[in-house]
Amino acid sequence: MLVPGLAPHDAVSNDTLGMTATLREDGHEVAVFALNARGVDEPILAPATIEQWLRGPDDIVIYHCCDGWDFPLALFRRTRARRVVRYHNITPPQFFAEWSQGYVDACARGRNQLDAYAALDCELYLGDSPYNIEDFTSRGVDPARCAVLPPFHQVEQLCGLQADARRVPSGAPLLLMVGRLAPNKGHLALIDALAALKQRQPQARLLSVGKLDPNLFQYGEAIHARLHERGVEAETLLLQDANGAELRAAYERADALVMLSEHEGFCVPLIEAMALGTPVIAYASSAIPWTLGDAGLLFEASDPHLIAAAAARVHADATLRESLRERGRARYAAMFSPAVLERDLRSVMQRFAA
Amino acid sequence: MNLSPQDEMLERVKAEIRADAELARVRDPLPRHDPPPRAAQAQRPSFDEGIERDRLDYTIAELSGAHYRAFIDQAFRALLKRPPDDAGAELQTRLLAAGAAKAEVLGNLRWSPEGKRVGTRVRGLLPRYALAKLVRVPVLGYFLDWGLALAGLPLLLQHQRAADTSNAARFGAAADAQQRSERAIEAAQAAHAALGAEHDRRSDAIRADIGRMLLRLDDLERHAALLEGRTGGLETRTDASAREAIELRHQVNAANHWVASIQASLSELEDLARAERERADALLASIEPDPEESAARSARYADWSAQLAQRLEIAAPVFDLGSADGAWLSALAAHGIHANGAEDNAAWVARAQARGIAITLENPMTALSRLADAQLGGLTLSPAIWAVGTTALASLLAEARRTLKPGGWLLARDLDAAQAAGIPASANTLSARSALLVAAGFLPPTLLPGSGGQALIAQRPAV
Repeated sequence: MLVPGLAPHDAVSNDTLGMTATLREDGHEVAVFALNARGVDEPILAPATIEQWLRGPDDIVIYHCCDGWDFPLALFRRTRARRVVRYHNITPPQFFAEWSQGYVDACARGRNQLDAYAALDCELYLGDSPYNIEDFTSRGVDPARCAVLPPFHQVEQLCGLQADARRVPSGAPLLLMVGRLAPNKGHLALIDALAALKQRQPQARLLSVGKLDPNLFQYGEAIHARLHERGVEAETLLLQDANGAELRAAYERADALVMLSEHEGFCVPLIEAMALGTPVIAYASSAIPWTLGDAGLLFEASDPHLIAAAAARVHADATLRESLRERGRARYAAMFSPAVLERDLRSVMQRFAA
Repeated sequence: MNLSPQDEMLERVKAEIRADAELARVRDPLPRHDPPPRAAQAQRPSFDEGIERDRLDYTIAELSGAHYRAFIDQAFRALLKRPPDDAGAELQTRLLAAGAAKAEVLGNLRWSPEGKRVGTRVRGLLPRYALAKLVRVPVLGYFLDWGLALAGLPLLLQHQRAADTSNAARFGAAADAQQRSERAIEAAQAAHAALGAEHDRRSDAIRADIGRMLLRLDDLERHAALLEGRTGGLETRTDASAREAIELRHQVNAANHWVASIQASLSELEDLARAERERADALLASIEPDPEESAARSARYADWSAQLAQRLEIAAPVFDLGSADGAWLSALAAHGIHANGAEDNAAWVARAQARGIAITLENPMTALSRLADAQLGGLTLSPAIWAVGTTALASLLAEARRTLKPGGWLLARDLDAAQAAGIPASANTLSARSALLVAAGFLPPTLLPGSGGQALIAQRPAV
């Protein structure tokens, strides 16, 4: 397993460690190589030593691709081991154009590398979603070398936590957004939706759980300016240091998870909401329609009045809420539960059995 | 496409939501507030903002729409092409406050020396300005003002009514705004009060926590003092133990030195004893036997060997303890008995081995321990064997019984020689030796007389 970095509460890290554990259960010898790691219970090896492990075609290197790292590309060009690109998607740089040149450069470098990976004709391109796989099939990769495997996650652990609601606000309704404060995540549209909802229901509140990268401080200022402009500063809580117990409480207390993100390679918060029985209202962008399926209210626009009307309806309509909960739990169990992911991973790895 | 009832319900709900949103979009446009202070500051007009430097033609209506300071500001920017300075703005503001017409303020600026240099044209301003100035002429101005007022009275009344309506509307809006403000202030006061109460509650909790922490700190300090006292005692004891350990180490070292010295002395003694023994053995071996005695010994050895040979089975192995110069072994061999011997006098052993006699250099008292059970047909003992203590002799006889076959024979020779060697009489008597042999499990021995000596022969029971 080759991954840029490992950290707690990180989707790529959870997928890396989940795949590692499953492959070990199946009797494979698995080592994890990362540039840096913190807070994970796994021995980490330096990427520079990976070629000592890759003796030939009997070995497999799985690269978790999520940014523009040059080392794996050079490794894939010279190794005799079989190569798997585990693709978690890279945000298009234009989302960051107004906010951070560093992000623009990093994302552009990562997306430019996709052409090189596609040209390498790797043994497997393993995407989190069909949307991710399109990045390679559109570059001429044979679909037979592509497969979809949703990411391994920590949802079961989240479900097992004791909820801590001390910092979670009450709202009627309470809208929840889970995700880092980044320009592609649709926070500005969400604030507009809250303003529209407040005109209908003055007790409406918004809780955003996710951190702001200091490099995107200008985007943070834009969020605060929009909150002020729409007059909903007092109705909004941006929780940047929530722990698992607080996240669990947020899902329990929220009327809906409102996901207006414009670019997602998979969107783990959707399956967290499904597993915990929180209705989902979402903008049908990128991978969100595939992940959510028919388990939520999916709209083709993030129009504030539309989202506000949907939130008001979910808050008022108990039958609709219950229907969405049932659909969410059923979809999670059928497509994203750990047992299903382990089964799917084994199925994918079967192609290497010969 | 056929949808399930659940999917149909969901589609219907989404359609209703879309319709609801359309209505809301028309009914409730999104609110827009002023930008936050930081943004407002960033958008503040610059020095030149609002000044149209290339425009030199205005109408009175364009310049008189604003009121009070905004009017003054606009007039300066239009007629003098600069923002108002404090003194100029103050002067014109005072004129307005004193009831001067806006046309007079505009004229003052336009036909000021600075205004003349700029040369802005304001259509219709000159007659109005002139009229405003004429009104200021004493007496004539008074009557002119009255005349103008009377002439403009209908229009003034119309404006007054419009102003009343406008003011009423504004007062109403202001009252509404005031009520909203009051409600907001009340809400803020309530929130402030709630926050104050929460603050007090948390302060109380924090004070209580601090109190508990101080108590805990006192406990910790007491424990620390107690531990300090115990630590002092421990340190004292540790120091004493350390001193004792040092002293003990010196004593151990001294004892080691003493033991090493004793070991060296013992080694020297052992060396001396070994040398003494070698000298004694050599001396003993160098003694030439008396010819008569030697002849007698050969005679009795031949006799005893013959009697032993009669009792032994054919080719039965015989072992001799204390073989001395090997004369006895030679006598046995002369009667066809296959015998080996053990002797601890190196000089004798060397001499015997030189004559081809089977004899080994070893302690006769322990030689039997390496033999197997019931290995021997016969065992013979020299007179020196009887010189050991009774306990050692009993052990030797037990070993003799073990190594002899059932029915095997034990012969003790030269009993007189043992007596001559100074062995105590109590242990040297024939009856005592017989008793020892019987006690060791042998049948009662038989006395074998010989030339110049006696021997005892005893048999291990056959069963």
